[in-house]
Amino acid sequence: MGSTSRTLEITVLSCEDLRIGRKWVKKNTYVMVRTDPLNYRATKMDTEGGAYPSWNQRLSIEMPLHERFITLEVHCKTASGDKTIGTARMPATDFMGGYLPENYLNFLSYRLRDAKGERNGIVNVSVKANLPEYLSSNDNDKKVSEINACSMTSKPAPAIPIEDGKNFGFVTGIPIWSKNHV
Amino acid sequence: MGNCFSDEAGGKAAVGGTSSAAGGGAAAAANDAIDYYFKSRGFHGIFSQIELSFSATKLRDRDVLSKSDPMVVVYTKAKDGPPTEVFRTEVVLNSLNPTWIMKYAITFQFEVVQTLLFHVYDVDTQFHNVDVKMIKLDEQQFLGEASCALSEILTKSNRSLTLDLVQKEDSTISSHPHHGQLLVHAEECISSKTTTEMILRCSDLEHKDLFSRINPFLVISKTVESGIPIPVCKTEVLKNDHNPIWKPIFLNIQQVGSKDSPLVIEFYNFNSSGKHDLIGEARKSLADLEKLHSSGKGEILFSLNAGGHDRNKVLKSQLFVDKFSESIQYTFLDYLKGGCELNFMVAIDFTASNGNPRLPDSLHYLDPTGRLNAYQQAIVEVGEVLQFYDSDKRFPAWGFGARPIDGPVSHCFNLNGSNNHCEVDGIQGIMMSYSSALLNVSLAGPTLFGPVISTAALIASQSLANGGKKYFVLLIITDGVVTDLQETKDAIVKASDLPLSILIVGVGGADFKEMEILDADKGERLESSTGRVASRDIVQFVSFRHIQGGQISVVQGLLAELPTQFLTYMRSRDIQPNF
Repeated sequence: MGSTSRTLEITVLSCEDLRIGRKWVKKNTYVMVRTDPLNYRATKMDTEGGAYPSWNQRLSIEMPLHERFITLEVHCKTASGDKTIGTARMPATDFMGGYLPENYLNFLSYRLRDAKGERNGIVNVSVKANLPEYLSSNDNDKKVSEINACSMTSKPAPAIPIEDGKNFGFVTGIPIWSKNHV
Repeated sequence: MGNCFSDEAGGKAAVGGTSSAAGGGAAAAANDAIDYYFKSRGFHGIFSQIELSFSATKLRDRDVLSKSDPMVVVYTKAKDGPPTEVFRTEVVLNSLNPTWIMKYAITFQFEVVQTLLFHVYDVDTQFHNVDVKMIKLDEQQFLGEASCALSEILTKSNRSLTLDLVQKEDSTISSHPHHGQLLVHAEECISSKTTTEMILRCSDLEHKDLFSRINPFLVISKTVESGIPIPVCKTEVLKNDHNPIWKPIFLNIQQVGSKDSPLVIEFYNFNSSGKHDLIGEARKSLADLEKLHSSGKGEILFSLNAGGHDRNKVLKSQLFVDKFSESIQYTFLDYLKGGCELNFMVAIDFTASNGNPRLPDSLHYLDPTGRLNAYQQAIVEVGEVLQFYDSDKRFPAWGFGARPIDGPVSHCFNLNGSNNHCEVDGIQGIMMSYSSALLNVSLAGPTLFGPVISTAALIASQSLANGGKKYFVLLIITDGVVTDLQETKDAIVKASDLPLSILIVGVGGADFKEMEILDADKGERLESSTGRVASRDIVQFVSFRHIQGGQISVVQGLLAELPTQFLTYMRSRDIQPNF
């Protein structure tokens, strides 16, 4: 039985050049990190940074393996309520898969766009993806990245427990590529 | 003169003790004067002070009655120039295996090849009481010579290089009996790499009476021999706070002298007139502050009552050290010592705009007199410096924008003509593959950097996955403006978080204005078509011009930034050299 999600450690670092309308943001900004509408984490509020706020706050969030994007939303608490001033989508491939080793600390930055699609600043984060449970750290890196590649496209099949006393004569499991697999 | 125009916000800002000051100060030269000297002449980058010490073994015995009395003379040699004497050790009496005490101080410059030449002489007895500088070398017995580049010494793990002494520069070792060996050892002089971070807090700070407002700030000074305190840093001004906690103060031991040097910590009340009121002071060294932190106790402040009878009036306020931590800022040379390498990769533009290589006006013309064309010059200038930092001296080399033999146009083909591997051996290997590639490909186009950058990025990320301590430097030499700017930007943004730096050298007379966009120094951060922004500035672009004479070349300016880019990558990830 394996887990179907990974824990991400996202450190929200800072933002640059945030505006509301044409004026620079003055204060009270925070960032929400979402994998889907229900699963999100938020940073504390930055009260001093203005248009260049910084949080340097680490958030831990579970990301299901089939999710392909993490959404970063920058909010501002103004007199007229909470406004989303910019969003960016971070593709999972930017920090997982490929030839990057596990536990690589990725420093990533994205262009924020407001509700109208206009550019509104940049958000800087760092992301580290932790190994899912069924892959322990003894596996070599190449094998792990191949497994990532194949698990990105489909959910691993759930294992069916074999009940005591009954011999069904079959075993199910998750296909794993061995390092000798061509 | 009225103070309505003074920069009050600036006056309230912290100076000297911020993390950038301590970090930048420690990373920069140990000596501000030397740093300024170089910067005013257009040199940039990191200058570390190095001390070379010498010893030798199995020197030839020239004296009849006793052993040789050897001395080392050090010369620096600029490229193709005559050697210039820079240093002499003392004379060691009567020894064929001497260790000299006198050390030669030299500033390490990453971006040039610093060639050193060593001559060992046996000094005649009659000169033994003469100052070494006065000794005439042609009256002494020449025991042997050796030469090397400074970076060769620094890239060895123990920073010691053993050189065989030879009698003449170009003789083979086998035809002469050996003249012994010279061991050169390098030490980096940096008085301290330790930066201390402290958070200071005060309780019950009062001035005049309990009800007046206080806008407190601190000034930390070091005391020098003459007794006058010299300010080292000042904190920001806090608004109306009787129990202030200031932002973290970063101090490098260099800034204060030593951990035990007495410091004067003065507490002031900010006054917009500029005349700040001194509330009180404490005298502590960094070591005392560390003890204060671990004990958790407070230190009572006292105020100097000028002109008053009670010299040191004890105040109610106490100073607390809420945080005290030390961290070491490693230098570029520390990482080299720990086994880090710079791997050189080169990509050459084979587009048709260079001109037919057989015609003398082509940028790819191979001059039979041996004069290097612009491409060869760039390869040599960059490669010669970087080769010392690569342990196996095998460099990936590619061409782009040409049709190899009868195939389609390739934007990333191996310069050595192989289908499987892209590496060549040494700078010579690059030059030979380049010459033969010119005969075997048809120049075509367009000018695309994307495929070459992506291939280099792949190599860099694969090296990461294998746990390498390698940092990659890709040199792209081109004659024209890149055709698909967005694809190039995409490739650069994708590679911006990898241990990779890209140096682009433009040759020929094209207008390279558009290329400058790729260098974030000159513009904004690069943005890919998917909305990702470059994590760091990994591209540097320079347009190549022949520079004759003693001026520094533009390529050197490019190279000078590399150690900083390397350090930024390592420090941002908290990677430490493990030696």
